[in-house]
Amino acid sequence: MKSIAFGQYYPSNSIMHRLDPRMKIIMGILYIVACFLCKNVITFGLLMLSALLLIIISKIPVKIVIRSIKAIIFIMIFTAVLNIFWTKGEDYELLVSWRFINIYSSGLYNAAFIVIRIVSMIIGTGIFLTYTTTPIQLTDGLEQLLSPLKVLKVPVHEFAMMMTIALRFIPTIIEETEKIMAAQKARGADFSNGSLVKRAKALIPVLIPLFISSFRRAGELATAMTCRCYRGGKGRTRLNVLRFSFKDFVALFLVIAFGTGIVLLNIYAPGYTM
Amino acid sequence: MSYIKIRNLKYSYKDDNDEPIPVLRGVSLDIEKGEYVAILGHNGSGKSTLAKLLNLVIEDYDFFEGSIEVDGVDITSEDMTEDDIYDLRKKIGMVFQNPDNQLVATIVEEDVAFGPENLGVPRAEIRQRVDYALKTVGMTEFAHHEPHRLSGGQKQRIAIAGVIAMKPDCMIFDESTAMLDPMGRKDVVDTIEKLNKEEGKTVITITHYMDEAVRADRVIVINDGKIILDGAPSKIFAQAEILRSAGLDLPQCADLLLRLREKGIKLEGEINTPEQCAQTIAQALNR
Amino acid sequence: MSKLTVENVSFVYSAGTPFEVRALDGVSVNIESNRITGIIGHTGSGKSTLVQMFNGLIRPTEGRILLDGEDIWADAKKISAIRYRVGLVMQYPEYQLFEETVEADIAYGPKNMGLDEAEIARRVIESAKFVGLDEESLKKSPFDLSGGQKRRAAIAGIMAMRPEVLVLDEPSAGLDPAGKKSIFEGIRNYAEATGAAVIIVSHSMDDMAKYCEDIIVMSHSKVAMTGKRNEIFSRGDELEAIGLGVPQMTYLVRLLAQKGIDLPQNIFTVEDAETAITELFGGAQ
Repeated sequence: MKSIAFGQYYPSNSIMHRLDPRMKIIMGILYIVACFLCKNVITFGLLMLSALLLIIISKIPVKIVIRSIKAIIFIMIFTAVLNIFWTKGEDYELLVSWRFINIYSSGLYNAAFIVIRIVSMIIGTGIFLTYTTTPIQLTDGLEQLLSPLKVLKVPVHEFAMMMTIALRFIPTIIEETEKIMAAQKARGADFSNGSLVKRAKALIPVLIPLFISSFRRAGELATAMTCRCYRGGKGRTRLNVLRFSFKDFVALFLVIAFGTGIVLLNIYAPGYTM
Repeated sequence: MSYIKIRNLKYSYKDDNDEPIPVLRGVSLDIEKGEYVAILGHNGSGKSTLAKLLNLVIEDYDFFEGSIEVDGVDITSEDMTEDDIYDLRKKIGMVFQNPDNQLVATIVEEDVAFGPENLGVPRAEIRQRVDYALKTVGMTEFAHHEPHRLSGGQKQRIAIAGVIAMKPDCMIFDESTAMLDPMGRKDVVDTIEKLNKEEGKTVITITHYMDEAVRADRVIVINDGKIILDGAPSKIFAQAEILRSAGLDLPQCADLLLRLREKGIKLEGEINTPEQCAQTIAQALNR
Repeated sequence: MSKLTVENVSFVYSAGTPFEVRALDGVSVNIESNRITGIIGHTGSGKSTLVQMFNGLIRPTEGRILLDGEDIWADAKKISAIRYRVGLVMQYPEYQLFEETVEADIAYGPKNMGLDEAEIARRVIESAKFVGLDEESLKKSPFDLSGGQKRRAAIAGIMAMRPEVLVLDEPSAGLDPAGKKSIFEGIRNYAEATGAAVIIVSHSMDDMAKYCEDIIVMSHSKVAMTGKRNEIFSRGDELEAIGLGVPQMTYLVRLLAQKGIDLPQNIFTVEDAETAITELFGGAQ
């Protein structure tokens, strides 16, 4: 379990991995907006293409992407079915009519659109954010993007520091949990058999030592940080400062161009509109 | 003037019933710049408390008496401002026992940079300091690793690098080798020695390993909140009775030579390392 | 028949992934009752994996572990019964203390065994005695004890299950000399009183020399050497090749030999050296 991957980060050296995390956060948001802007066959077609292109550029195995889509397949089927049966489009061709069920062609279109939208959104946030950006880069990116809020006394640095420490200690605490569980098993603890209540009770001998040691760790870490002159974000400099490079702006330009294209095509392209 | 000057230092903490429990009972001590001092004592002898007081990282100062001067500044004075405490911590760096609980960042080099970042050192200089500190502890190739994948000894060397990067005059090692395996211990002790001999840092190492204390220039033994011995290692380890009463062991070679002397065998010479010990025995036999 | 037999055991972590690690590779050893056996090796030599196999915390990917000649994995459902017979004290065991009183914590294992109250009470007192904890500290919260006392309380918690095999992984790590001594005294008390097979994992050659009769040397996931203490320490060059070295007194004897002073080969502790060298000088003067 030590090799547990946080979130879904997938290590690789694609151009997407090397973009500035701040830019990726911005692009991720823009891309989601674009997903909602799509209205007709051509724009949704483009959206699908863009999602495929993102997968290719980021060198994330399709298998992994499919896995994350599978997780919400039921929600997708549910919304698709709702759209098929509930869309009333008198102007459109009635495909099926049986008792109270009426299926119009517009219903099928809408269902397909919704599915494409959801899938693209998952792929987009995955590719721009979780697959290609480590949690710590995300934290850094968010801290710097939100830093203007410091003027309004929002403790942006403190939140980021908390995130960083949490990320640093997750593997340590997982390892410790495993050790304590093994130690209690050696004294006859049984975590896998019995009723739910019994199993929950069996966890007490794990949780108490874990809490105590976590508090001790927190105390020691606070002392160590104090000794290393930590006093909040004031006057702090950074070793690694995020810097936009040319490729970041190119990427941003492409995403904006894509969004603009969607808006224009919504207006001028022919075909069924949502 | 001594770099660290402690006069009649007394300190107690409160237990759950608000009763004061004395930890230090009148400690006076001078440490010069560039010294390599080992402080020995069993658990609960007060040695760690002394170290923490030097960096003012003990919360509760209720039962406190005496004075500590560091680099000419009385750090126990009422006038110490927050900035003064900050300056003190710049001068004296501390490395603790559990390597896991000192590392803040998820990447080695960012952890080493944590101290200088807090000090507001300009970026280019942080870079230099981090590279230099990692080189000093021999961990350059691990700059981009995640700390939790390193061994205990490696983590501890990263913690040391984090302090080196703050450029302190003096470094205190509070049982920094207690949780390490023999290899990790050796690496850390070698690093500590190097910091003193090559970098000219004042080093105070708190330990209960005799073989580590032997390598210092001066050994101080604390028992029950008081200094009971203070001097060069060979002198200290000749005081077997006192050491044993303080709950400490002798280094094996020193122990052997003392036992032999007790049997009336005349042995003269240094006794700290097996090599010296063998030499001493060989000399006595040839005579 | 040996008490515990490890038969050609291998273990692979994260098999089939890029993180695959072969932690044990064809390991075979025998552990006897009424003896203290030491296991020594570097971090990562596989010794911690091996000891977690003794009580079935880790299941071998290949090979068998036999307790009294029976495969402990013959019926996987009964593995928890094996854990009462093979007691394992993990590294830094004080971190497993959780009850309100030391007494209750020591009783946790026996309670899981389903023993009756009177027997549990008897065992708590008995094992507290082994490790030298007095009645007063039994009533205390384990978190109010000193570091060394906590360690002893945790070890007593395993002893209270009265295991036939007692395994201790680095029992003295991080303790001061006095704390260390009382831990080893406790282990000896248990060994003498019960005749159990005791296994101590340690980094320290000097501790091995002092307390263990048989020694198993692990290196790179394999058993490098196994035998009586004398045999192992007389193979100093091999030990050094593994990077382990010999006890300090054995090292001293070798240094003296280089200077033309010959001493017997079986010197491992300060007491051994004292006797031998005194003789060299023609007895006490």
